[in-house]
Amino acid sequence: MIPVVQRLRRNTELGLILLGAVVTAGLYTLASLGTTANLPVNIGPFLGVVLALLAGAHVATRRLAPASDGVLLPLAGLLNGLGYVWIARLDPDLAALQAVWTAVGITAYVVTLVLVPKARDLDRYRYTFMLVGIALLLLPLVPGIGKTVNGARIWLQLGPLSFQPGEFAKIVLAVFFASYLVEKRELLGMAGNRLGPVMLPELRHFGPVLLAWGASLLVMISERDLGSSLLFFALFVVMLWVATERLSYLLVGGLLFAGGALAAATAFDHVRQRVDIWLDPWAAATDQGFQLVQATFALAWGGIAGTGPGLGNPDRIPLVETDFIFAAIGEELGLLGSAAVLVTFLLLVGTGLRIAIAAQAPFNKLLAAGLTAILGIQAFIIIGGVIRVVPLTGITLPFVSYGGSSLVANYVLLALLIRISADNAESELEAR
Amino acid sequence: MPEPLLAILKLCALALLYLFFLRVLRAVWAEVGGARVAVAPAGRPQGRERRPLARRERPSSHLTVVEPAQHRGRSFDLSDEVTVGRAAGCQVTLDDDYASQLHARIFRRDGALYVEDLGSTNGTYLNTRKVSAPMALKRGDRLKIGGTVMELTG
Repeated sequence: MIPVVQRLRRNTELGLILLGAVVTAGLYTLASLGTTANLPVNIGPFLGVVLALLAGAHVATRRLAPASDGVLLPLAGLLNGLGYVWIARLDPDLAALQAVWTAVGITAYVVTLVLVPKARDLDRYRYTFMLVGIALLLLPLVPGIGKTVNGARIWLQLGPLSFQPGEFAKIVLAVFFASYLVEKRELLGMAGNRLGPVMLPELRHFGPVLLAWGASLLVMISERDLGSSLLFFALFVVMLWVATERLSYLLVGGLLFAGGALAAATAFDHVRQRVDIWLDPWAAATDQGFQLVQATFALAWGGIAGTGPGLGNPDRIPLVETDFIFAAIGEELGLLGSAAVLVTFLLLVGTGLRIAIAAQAPFNKLLAAGLTAILGIQAFIIIGGVIRVVPLTGITLPFVSYGGSSLVANYVLLALLIRISADNAESELEAR
Repeated sequence: MPEPLLAILKLCALALLYLFFLRVLRAVWAEVGGARVAVAPAGRPQGRERRPLARRERPSSHLTVVEPAQHRGRSFDLSDEVTVGRAAGCQVTLDDDYASQLHARIFRRDGALYVEDLGSTNGTYLNTRKVSAPMALKRGDRLKIGGTVMELTG
């Protein structure tokens, strides 16, 4: 049974990787034709490197997790490729760095698969993960090594290297939440009070929710990082909901968040500013709202099929390579291209949830759900911000945006999902 | 390069992109919908793959918790064979201090359900009768395991 599934899944993966590499190389060529009217000089080596990187990851998966899901890696690779094409088109210097980070990310993917032969191994280091997660979150506040970029104190500068520890904190904390909630879910799921038709758990069981809420508020206030703060809180509430199957946690979490957001919007200028430019970017179209207004123009200019890669002007948008890469893709590939990005995330999240449903062990199930939630929530926060569905909070679009920490962390996240799906296939075999 | 040609190439690239999604969807479909048909017969040829089909034809039975009140309404699917106990490996796991790790076994023989005690400390009771040898279960029967009472429902 297993060898058949194994072969099927790995061959699917290889086929999809090849197709994804062809799409990436095609768009890269088109972008070069669009910007310089010449074929890119390095298209041969480019295709070679893309294939080598993805094939490396593929071979490692064949060796280390042969029965794992076959569509996760190609989907992530496609997002990575799409992002790279636009980063290269916007800023060749950043593209060279992004290529290096992609290589580091894939190495991290392989190393994670080696270090975690079974997902349940992670369960043993619960409190280590908790401490590491909190440390990573708070490190940027340490004077001397913390660094403020664009108003957010989320960077760590160690000599020439700088990275965002928060990107790794999200994975580490997801592992801790999964481990903690599996043990406590019976307790947390018990109904104590009844409020109309809703069964409410006992008040003291909301303690962890309040703690997570407090921590996320702290991050928001001290590091001025709205996106991460929203991501962490949403992750915790979603995992709590999945673990206990109690909708009340989701409702109470939502209310707490709404309260916190409202208070923050009245108390802090930088938060109120975000809300104001979300409601009406045109009022400040030349200063604070400039970025959003330009992004809106870019998306409008893109129309159905876009201006064509390399033929638009997404470089008008500040920070287009990181937070606003979705607008660049939307301008040059139009509705079809930006919908493609959304479809890729939809397929990624769908696959992640499928892995969570198939998982036998509660820890694996919860961890898969949490990791998937990270990808989904993060994509929603930033894409929603760019297209003005929610107030804009700077956060990277997983696998697409320029950013070393983000890319490497997301490949680690992917490796964990792959590992859980491999565990699923193995326990299915044992059950037979 | 003339613009119309670039536009056509762009549409080709988009078409390839959506072809990629179609192939992903096909792979997902093979796993979710067609997996049983496509994969199972190739692996285990003799008899075993009929199990899922046979299970689907039968009306499924459940064990529903009656006592203690805090777990009331919790329901467990009964497949061909389940173990009941406190251990995480049991299909019916009970959070009950008076249940043994591996307490009892419920299995199906010739279409009827039976319950068998697996040497538990506090014993298994079927409608107040102690289960010492496998006993047949019918709908509405009450099973007492430790401090937990469960009813067999259709």
